[in-house]
Amino acid sequence: MSEAVSRPSLPPGVRRGVWSVVVVLLLFDGLAFLAGEAPRVALLKALEGTWGTMYGLGQVIYKATPLLLTGLGFRVALRAGLFNIGVEGQLLLGSFAAGVVASRLPSSTPWPLGVLMSLGAAGVGGAGLGAVAGAMKVKFGAHEVIVTLLLNRIVEALVPYVLRRGVGVTGYRSGDAISGALLPRLEQLSEVFRGSAASLATVLALVVCLLVLRWERSSVTGREFGWVGLGAGVCEAQGIPGGRRLWQAMALSGGRAGLGASATVLGYKGYYELGLGAGAGFGGIAVAMLGQGSAVGLVGAALLLGTLQQAGLVLNASLPREAMDVLTAAVLVAASAGRGRR
Amino acid sequence: MEARGVTCRFGDKVAVHKASVRLFPGQIHALVGENGAGKSTLLKAMAGAVVPTEGEVWIRGQRLDPATPAEAIRRGVGMVYQHFALVPSFTGMENLMLGVEPVGLLGWLRPSVTRARAEEIAAMTRLRVHLDVPAASLSVGEQQRLEILRVLVRGASLLLLDEPTAVLTPGEAQGLYELLRRIAKQGAAVAVVTHHLEDVSRYADQVTVLRGGEQVFQGAVSEVTTAELSLRALGEIPAVKRPTAVGGEAPELLVVVGLQAEGLDVKELRVRRGEMVGIAGVDGNGQEALVEALAGLRPARGSQRLGGCELAGAPPSARRAAGLEVVHGDRHRFALLAGATIHDNLVLGDLGPDEEAKVVRRMAVSGLIPADPSLQAGTLSGGNQQKLVMARALDRAPRMLVAAYPTRGIDAAAAAQIQQRLVAAAEGGAGVLLISGDWSELRTIAHRLLVMRKGRVVAELPPDVREQELGRVMLEGS
Repeated sequence: MSEAVSRPSLPPGVRRGVWSVVVVLLLFDGLAFLAGEAPRVALLKALEGTWGTMYGLGQVIYKATPLLLTGLGFRVALRAGLFNIGVEGQLLLGSFAAGVVASRLPSSTPWPLGVLMSLGAAGVGGAGLGAVAGAMKVKFGAHEVIVTLLLNRIVEALVPYVLRRGVGVTGYRSGDAISGALLPRLEQLSEVFRGSAASLATVLALVVCLLVLRWERSSVTGREFGWVGLGAGVCEAQGIPGGRRLWQAMALSGGRAGLGASATVLGYKGYYELGLGAGAGFGGIAVAMLGQGSAVGLVGAALLLGTLQQAGLVLNASLPREAMDVLTAAVLVAASAGRGRR
Repeated sequence: MEARGVTCRFGDKVAVHKASVRLFPGQIHALVGENGAGKSTLLKAMAGAVVPTEGEVWIRGQRLDPATPAEAIRRGVGMVYQHFALVPSFTGMENLMLGVEPVGLLGWLRPSVTRARAEEIAAMTRLRVHLDVPAASLSVGEQQRLEILRVLVRGASLLLLDEPTAVLTPGEAQGLYELLRRIAKQGAAVAVVTHHLEDVSRYADQVTVLRGGEQVFQGAVSEVTTAELSLRALGEIPAVKRPTAVGGEAPELLVVVGLQAEGLDVKELRVRRGEMVGIAGVDGNGQEALVEALAGLRPARGSQRLGGCELAGAPPSARRAAGLEVVHGDRHRFALLAGATIHDNLVLGDLGPDEEAKVVRRMAVSGLIPADPSLQAGTLSGGNQQKLVMARALDRAPRMLVAAYPTRGIDAAAAAQIQQRLVAAAEGGAGVLLISGDWSELRTIAHRLLVMRKGRVVAELPPDVREQELGRVMLEGS
């Protein structure tokens, strides 16, 4: 099988994509078999519940949206040579900030303004957390993996506490967002998406994706990020502020991850509740690794993981919920293994 | 050892074309040619580090198969690379032991075994290296000596050295060749890639000349003169003249007073406009500290004024803005991103709207081979990497240029070109501080020489000082 997919005629990105799907399918069959299901039946059921109906597709898109944003977030740090494992916490803080701001704005705030302010809060929340880790790295030489990992834990503990201390309407959720801060669902634009959770946030994420990739290639700062990742000392000596670029990359990374709140808080629920969007941060790492810096790759990777998550819900009755988590983790491991050939 | 009809191709580029080299025990075989001629590639093919597209490598009558570095090492090949393969945080001793750790009972590490062997070799060969400090804290020259020592400690009998003398002072280089001669006498075969054609005539037995990947000459050194070798390898080399002398009325450009940093204590250093000041000294006597302090990469006390503007404490970017340009001796630490393209490296640190024009211009003056800016800079030979770095630095039109070892590892023709451009910069009114280990370079183009020893400037000498006198001052102070 390896010969079939590693023919030199295939570009590495395509090969990687094909491999990911093959790995996922094989593991899926294995898991279904272990759970006592006929693999073929389970697979068809999963496909029908995801890509088979417009509703299912809408759900896949909904799940893929924050993954794409966190993936973009992880990527910017990775290019600068940093492993921002804190995207999960940055997404959490961004979501929380978006929920609080969206619910506390004056109810008369007009539509685009409310959305922009809430998104701003999400971005600033994530960016702030990323910047802390970046500053710790630059100022004190603390390793970003350790710092972000622990910041994840701190945020996970602090957010419920703050919600309970009166910031939320109950101990586990924020107030309802004002209507001017909500992103319209796709079902409002087209009948075919009826009932699905997909919203304009997906369009936003796609636009961000294209802009980000373009920015990386053609802006001074974007290109310097990549150079700093290849040699911070060389950059410093050649007059590029290496240290500043490093923490900027972390802040930007966190900010993009925070924007993942657009799909969940502003596009779907209309408020923040504990656990909303959880896991999309770590999923984003896989998206960035699989996507390898092409828009098609990143969107494809986000859709693949989104499909897995939705399939998990569809097969809820027959397969344990954790089965899809196992699959997601396996994809992440496989994707990480290819990192050396960036 | 024998390389038979070795051809190495990288993509469309042919680095070496049908080269055949035979190494005999007891002989030193020199590989010469201009930068990018394929010398290093041929050497790497012999060490198993590059798999030839065509041709074979034979060692003691057996084909090198598989053609890997591990197999080559197993068969007694010891390669000293141009770029050091040392673990920076390990001490010299630990680097020596790495991979060949002497162990005793229960796998207990016995450093004393390696140390005894290292000290024996060091004593025999007069190779001086600090073995008990991290490799990162050693100067470039010391790191290279450590590399050579490592291969010797491993008992290699086929020694391949890629420009081993590039970072050594003339005295040390002589010591090294004498050492290689002794090793050869004991039955080893030695191959050396070098740019110093005089060294070839003086120390080698056989010589192979490569030009553009083609083998243009091979034979006994006794059959050719240095001048003939030079002509075959490089063509005509233009003579470089010292820049016009500057009078006392020329304004002072760089004024450094009381500069103190780790490993550095310079009371005073002045460079006038249009002046070329040479810094001589045995490697590791504070030259790197001086360059890094002036570049703003090493915290330092004291005043550093450039044209009246105080630079102390300023970051590299501010110094660049003030007109200071620094070419570092350690390319991979400070000057070049091996993983980025030549294009990106040419504009590293000064991206701007005129990027394409800069790349075209710098590409043209650098004379890089191959001249394809989309290639990764890491694929260039060392000399070509240096040409890239120099082209970028000079194109920034600095008022003050600090150049550390600007022609190290570069063939004589390219070196002459770079020296010519340094001279032109000085004649254009820039101040140049030239740190070099190449005495003839210093004596040819500098207006005056400052000698550094143990972090201090211990003497000022005229450029026409006798070599013996210069060597004595470098070692003894004054």
